[in-house]
Amino acid sequence: MFGFGKNVSVKIDKDLYARVVKVADVAGYATADEFIAHVLEKEMLHFEDSKSDEDIRAKLKGLGYIS
Amino acid sequence: MDFLSRLFGRAPQGEPVVIVSGLPRSGTSMMMKMLEAGGLSVLTDGERVADVDNPKGYYEVERVKNLEKETDKSYVREARGKVLKVISFLLKFLPDDNDYRIIFMRRDLNEVLASQNKMLKHRQETGGTADDKAMTEHYLNHLASIRVMARKKENWQVLEVRYDEAVKDGKSVAKQINQFLGGKLDEAKMSEAVDAELYRNRKDKIAKG
Repeated sequence: MFGFGKNVSVKIDKDLYARVVKVADVAGYATADEFIAHVLEKEMLHFEDSKSDEDIRAKLKGLGYIS
Repeated sequence: MDFLSRLFGRAPQGEPVVIVSGLPRSGTSMMMKMLEAGGLSVLTDGERVADVDNPKGYYEVERVKNLEKETDKSYVREARGKVLKVISFLLKFLPDDNDYRIIFMRRDLNEVLASQNKMLKHRQETGGTADDKAMTEHYLNHLASIRVMARKKENWQVLEVRYDEAVKDGKSVAKQINQFLGGKLDEAKMSEAVDAELYRNRKDKIAKG
Protein backbone atom coordinates (compact mmCIF):
# COMPACT_ATOMS: atom_id res chain seq x y z
CA MET A 1 0.00 0.00 0.00
CA PHE A 2 1.15 3.54 -0.74
CA GLY A 3 1.28 6.28 1.88
CA PHE A 4 2.40 4.07 4.73
CA GLY A 5 1.15 5.55 7.98
CA LYS A 6 -1.89 7.16 6.38
CA ASN A 7 -3.89 3.96 5.95
CA VAL A 8 -5.56 1.68 8.42
CA SER A 9 -6.68 -1.93 8.07
CA VAL A 10 -10.32 -2.90 8.42
CA LYS A 11 -11.50 -6.45 8.97
CA ILE A 12 -14.37 -7.68 6.83
CA ASP A 13 -15.88 -11.08 6.18
CA LYS A 14 -13.73 -13.25 3.89
CA ASP A 15 -16.60 -14.16 1.54
CA LEU A 16 -17.68 -10.54 1.29
CA TYR A 17 -14.11 -9.58 0.43
CA ALA A 18 -14.01 -12.21 -2.34
CA ARG A 19 -17.20 -10.72 -3.81
CA VAL A 20 -15.74 -7.21 -3.50
CA VAL A 21 -12.59 -8.28 -5.40
CA LYS A 22 -14.70 -9.71 -8.24
CA VAL A 23 -16.95 -6.66 -8.55
CA ALA A 24 -13.99 -4.25 -8.28
CA ASP A 25 -12.30 -6.06 -11.15
CA VAL A 26 -15.41 -6.05 -13.36
CA ALA A 27 -16.10 -2.39 -12.56
CA GLY A 28 -12.58 -1.41 -13.58
CA TYR A 29 -11.13 -0.40 -10.26
CA ALA A 30 -7.35 -0.80 -9.94
CA THR A 31 -7.66 -2.59 -6.61
CA ALA A 32 -10.33 -3.80 -4.22
CA ASP A 33 -9.05 -1.18 -1.75
CA GLU A 34 -9.76 1.57 -4.26
CA PHE A 35 -13.27 0.24 -4.82
CA ILE A 36 -14.00 -0.01 -1.09
CA ALA A 37 -12.69 3.52 -0.49
CA HIS A 38 -14.88 4.85 -3.30
CA VAL A 39 -18.02 3.13 -1.98
CA LEU A 40 -17.34 4.40 1.54
CA GLU A 41 -16.73 7.95 0.33
CA LYS A 42 -20.08 7.88 -1.47
CA GLU A 43 -21.84 6.47 1.59
CA MET A 44 -20.25 9.06 3.89
CA LEU A 45 -21.77 11.82 1.78
CA HIS A 46 -25.18 10.76 3.09
CA PHE A 47 -24.02 11.58 6.59
CA GLU A 48 -22.08 14.70 5.73
CA ASP A 49 -24.41 16.10 3.07
CA SER A 50 -24.42 19.89 3.41
CA LYS A 51 -27.76 20.22 1.58
CA SER A 52 -29.25 17.95 4.20
CA ASP A 53 -27.92 20.17 7.00
CA GLU A 54 -29.16 23.26 5.18
CA ASP A 55 -32.71 21.86 4.92
CA ILE A 56 -32.74 20.71 8.54
CA ARG A 57 -31.43 24.09 9.66
CA ALA A 58 -34.21 25.91 7.75
CA LYS A 59 -36.85 23.63 9.28
CA LEU A 60 -35.51 24.10 12.82
CA LYS A 61 -35.31 27.86 12.42
CA GLY A 62 -38.92 27.95 11.30
CA LEU A 63 -39.90 25.88 14.30
CA GLY A 64 -37.95 28.19 16.63
CA TYR A 65 -35.44 25.60 17.84
CA ILE A 66 -32.26 27.29 16.62
CA SER A 67 -31.19 30.92 16.28
CA MET B 1 -2.01 12.18 26.96
CA ASP B 2 -3.84 10.23 24.29
CA PHE B 3 -1.81 7.17 25.16
CA LEU B 4 -2.50 7.59 28.88
CA SER B 5 -6.22 8.10 28.41
CA ARG B 6 -6.35 5.00 26.23
CA LEU B 7 -4.47 3.07 28.86
CA PHE B 8 -6.34 4.20 31.95
CA GLY B 9 -9.64 5.39 30.53
CA ARG B 10 -11.14 8.84 30.76
CA ALA B 11 -11.31 10.67 34.09
CA PRO B 12 -14.88 11.66 35.03
CA GLN B 13 -15.67 15.36 34.79
CA GLY B 14 -17.93 16.00 37.76
CA GLU B 15 -21.60 15.04 37.79
CA PRO B 16 -22.89 14.29 34.31
CA VAL B 17 -25.20 16.68 32.52
CA VAL B 18 -28.46 14.92 31.72
CA ILE B 19 -29.50 15.87 28.21
CA VAL B 20 -32.95 15.30 26.73
CA SER B 21 -32.63 15.24 22.98
CA GLY B 22 -34.27 14.17 19.75
CA LEU B 23 -35.89 15.79 16.75
CA PRO B 24 -38.30 18.62 17.54
CA ARG B 25 -41.78 17.14 18.19
CA SER B 26 -40.44 13.75 19.23
CA GLY B 27 -41.54 14.00 22.86
CA THR B 28 -38.61 15.90 24.36
CA SER B 29 -40.83 18.24 26.42
CA MET B 30 -42.78 15.29 27.78
CA MET B 31 -39.50 13.65 28.81
CA MET B 32 -38.38 16.86 30.53
CA LYS B 33 -41.64 16.83 32.46
CA MET B 34 -41.13 13.18 33.43
CA LEU B 35 -37.62 13.85 34.73
CA GLU B 36 -38.75 16.92 36.65
CA ALA B 37 -41.56 14.90 38.23
CA GLY B 38 -39.02 12.20 39.08
CA GLY B 39 -36.99 14.67 41.12
CA LEU B 40 -34.32 16.01 38.77
CA SER B 41 -33.61 19.74 38.57
CA VAL B 42 -34.49 21.07 35.18
CA LEU B 43 -32.57 23.93 33.60
CA THR B 44 -35.02 26.28 31.87
CA ASP B 45 -35.32 30.03 31.53
CA GLY B 46 -39.07 29.95 30.90
CA GLU B 47 -38.62 32.33 27.98
CA ARG B 48 -40.56 30.20 25.49
CA VAL B 49 -43.98 29.96 27.05
CA ALA B 50 -46.56 27.19 26.68
CA ASP B 51 -48.73 27.38 23.58
CA VAL B 52 -51.10 25.24 21.52
CA ASP B 53 -48.21 23.05 20.31
CA ASN B 54 -46.75 22.49 23.77
CA PRO B 55 -49.54 23.17 26.28
CA LYS B 56 -47.34 22.10 29.19
CA GLY B 57 -44.35 24.22 28.25
CA TYR B 58 -41.13 23.83 26.30
CA TYR B 59 -38.55 23.43 29.09
CA GLU B 60 -35.92 25.24 27.06
CA VAL B 61 -32.95 27.51 27.65
CA GLU B 62 -32.93 30.16 24.95
CA ARG B 63 -29.12 30.31 24.87
CA VAL B 64 -28.90 26.66 23.83
CA LYS B 65 -30.42 27.60 20.46
CA ASN B 66 -27.20 29.44 19.74
CA LEU B 67 -24.94 26.52 20.66
CA GLU B 68 -23.68 26.19 17.08
CA LYS B 69 -22.42 29.78 16.85
CA GLU B 70 -21.49 30.70 20.40
CA THR B 71 -17.85 30.18 21.35
CA ASP B 72 -18.25 30.46 25.15
CA LYS B 73 -20.16 27.33 26.12
CA SER B 74 -19.00 27.26 29.74
CA TYR B 75 -22.62 27.83 30.88
CA VAL B 76 -23.37 24.19 30.02
CA ARG B 77 -21.37 23.26 33.15
CA GLU B 78 -24.17 24.80 35.21
CA ALA B 79 -26.28 21.87 34.09
CA ARG B 80 -24.05 19.28 35.80
CA GLY B 81 -26.39 17.13 37.87
CA LYS B 82 -29.36 18.75 36.14
CA VAL B 83 -31.37 18.27 32.96
CA LEU B 84 -30.96 20.36 29.84
CA LYS B 85 -32.93 20.07 26.61
CA VAL B 86 -30.80 20.12 23.45
CA ILE B 87 -32.34 19.18 20.12
CA SER B 88 -30.50 16.49 18.16
CA PHE B 89 -29.08 18.88 15.56
CA LEU B 90 -27.19 20.79 18.26
CA LEU B 91 -25.74 17.78 20.10
CA LYS B 92 -22.53 17.88 18.08
CA PHE B 93 -21.87 21.41 19.37
CA LEU B 94 -21.91 20.46 23.05
CA PRO B 95 -18.56 21.19 24.72
CA ASP B 96 -16.46 18.13 25.52
CA ASP B 97 -15.58 19.21 29.07
CA ASN B 98 -18.68 17.56 30.54
CA ASP B 99 -19.95 14.01 30.78
CA TYR B 100 -23.37 13.55 29.25
CA ARG B 101 -26.19 11.09 29.89
CA ILE B 102 -28.36 11.60 26.85
CA ILE B 103 -31.97 10.47 26.72
CA PHE B 104 -32.70 10.43 23.02
CA MET B 105 -36.36 10.48 22.04
CA ARG B 106 -37.38 8.50 18.95
CA ARG B 107 -40.74 8.85 17.24
CA ASP B 108 -42.22 7.71 13.95
CA LEU B 109 -40.92 10.20 11.36
CA ASN B 110 -44.33 10.61 9.73
CA GLU B 111 -45.69 11.69 13.10
CA VAL B 112 -42.74 14.02 13.69
CA LEU B 113 -43.18 15.70 10.31
CA ALA B 114 -46.98 15.99 10.68
CA SER B 115 -46.52 17.63 14.06
CA GLN B 116 -43.74 19.91 12.79
CA ASN B 117 -45.87 20.98 9.83
CA LYS B 118 -48.74 21.89 12.15
CA MET B 119 -46.41 23.87 14.34
CA LEU B 120 -44.96 25.74 11.35
CA LYS B 121 -48.50 26.63 10.31
CA HIS B 122 -49.29 27.97 13.79
CA ARG B 123 -46.09 30.01 13.69
CA GLN B 124 -46.82 31.16 10.12
CA GLU B 125 -43.41 29.95 9.01
CA THR B 126 -42.42 27.85 5.97
CA GLY B 127 -39.41 26.01 7.43
CA GLY B 128 -37.54 25.93 4.14
CA THR B 129 -38.36 24.41 0.78
CA ALA B 130 -37.69 20.69 1.32
CA ASP B 131 -40.80 18.49 1.11
CA ASP B 132 -41.68 15.73 3.58
CA LYS B 133 -40.04 13.04 1.45
CA ALA B 134 -36.73 14.91 1.34
CA MET B 135 -36.96 15.75 5.05
CA THR B 136 -37.58 12.10 5.91
CA GLU B 137 -34.37 11.19 4.10
CA HIS B 138 -32.47 14.04 5.76
CA TYR B 139 -33.72 13.06 9.21
CA LEU B 140 -32.85 9.39 8.68
CA ASN B 141 -29.29 10.34 7.75
CA HIS B 142 -29.14 12.81 10.61
CA LEU B 143 -30.26 10.20 13.14
CA ALA B 144 -27.74 7.70 11.77
CA SER B 145 -24.98 10.28 12.09
CA ILE B 146 -25.92 10.87 15.74
CA ARG B 147 -25.56 7.14 16.40
CA VAL B 148 -22.14 7.13 14.76
CA MET B 149 -21.14 10.16 16.83
CA ALA B 150 -22.42 8.56 20.03
CA ARG B 151 -20.10 5.60 19.46
CA LYS B 152 -17.12 7.91 19.07
CA LYS B 153 -17.76 10.20 22.03
CA GLU B 154 -16.27 8.83 25.24
CA ASN B 155 -18.15 11.37 27.35
CA TRP B 156 -21.59 10.39 25.99
CA GLN B 157 -23.88 7.66 27.23
CA VAL B 158 -27.08 7.42 25.25
CA LEU B 159 -30.43 5.82 26.00
CA GLU B 160 -32.96 5.80 23.18
CA VAL B 161 -36.59 6.04 24.29
CA ARG B 162 -39.53 5.58 21.95
CA TYR B 163 -42.23 8.20 22.42
CA ASP B 164 -45.09 5.80 21.71
CA GLU B 165 -43.73 3.33 24.27
CA ALA B 166 -43.41 6.07 26.89
CA VAL B 167 -47.07 7.01 26.32
CA LYS B 168 -48.22 3.39 26.27
CA ASP B 169 -46.17 2.08 29.17
CA GLY B 170 -44.85 4.98 31.24
CA LYS B 171 -43.99 2.69 34.15
CA SER B 172 -41.55 0.53 32.19
CA VAL B 173 -39.96 3.52 30.51
CA ALA B 174 -39.62 5.33 33.86
CA LYS B 175 -37.88 2.26 35.27
CA GLN B 176 -35.51 2.07 32.31
CA ILE B 177 -34.63 5.77 32.59
CA ASN B 178 -34.15 5.55 36.34
CA GLN B 179 -31.69 2.68 35.88
CA PHE B 180 -29.84 4.68 33.23
CA LEU B 181 -29.54 7.72 35.50
CA GLY B 182 -28.45 5.93 38.65
CA GLY B 183 -31.68 4.80 40.33
CA LYS B 184 -32.56 7.82 42.48
CA LEU B 185 -35.68 9.01 40.68
CA ASP B 186 -39.33 8.61 41.69
CA GLU B 187 -40.60 6.24 39.00
CA ALA B 188 -44.26 6.49 40.02
CA LYS B 189 -44.26 10.26 39.67
CA MET B 190 -42.40 10.00 36.38
CA SER B 191 -45.03 7.72 34.85
CA GLU B 192 -47.84 9.92 36.22
CA ALA B 193 -46.35 12.85 34.30
CA VAL B 194 -47.05 11.14 30.96
CA ASP B 195 -50.10 12.70 29.35
CA ALA B 196 -51.42 10.42 26.60
CA GLU B 197 -53.87 13.12 25.48
CA LEU B 198 -50.95 15.10 24.11
CA TYR B 199 -50.12 12.27 21.69
CA ARG B 200 -52.17 13.93 18.97
CA ASN B 201 -50.33 13.23 15.71
CA ARG B 202 -50.50 9.45 15.58
CA LYS B 203 -49.48 7.57 12.45
CA ASP B 204 -52.80 5.68 12.26
CA LYS B 205 -54.69 9.00 12.23
CA ILE B 206 -52.24 10.57 9.77
CA ALA B 207 -52.70 7.62 7.37
CA LYS B 208 -56.49 8.11 7.46
CA GLY B 209 -55.88 11.79 6.63
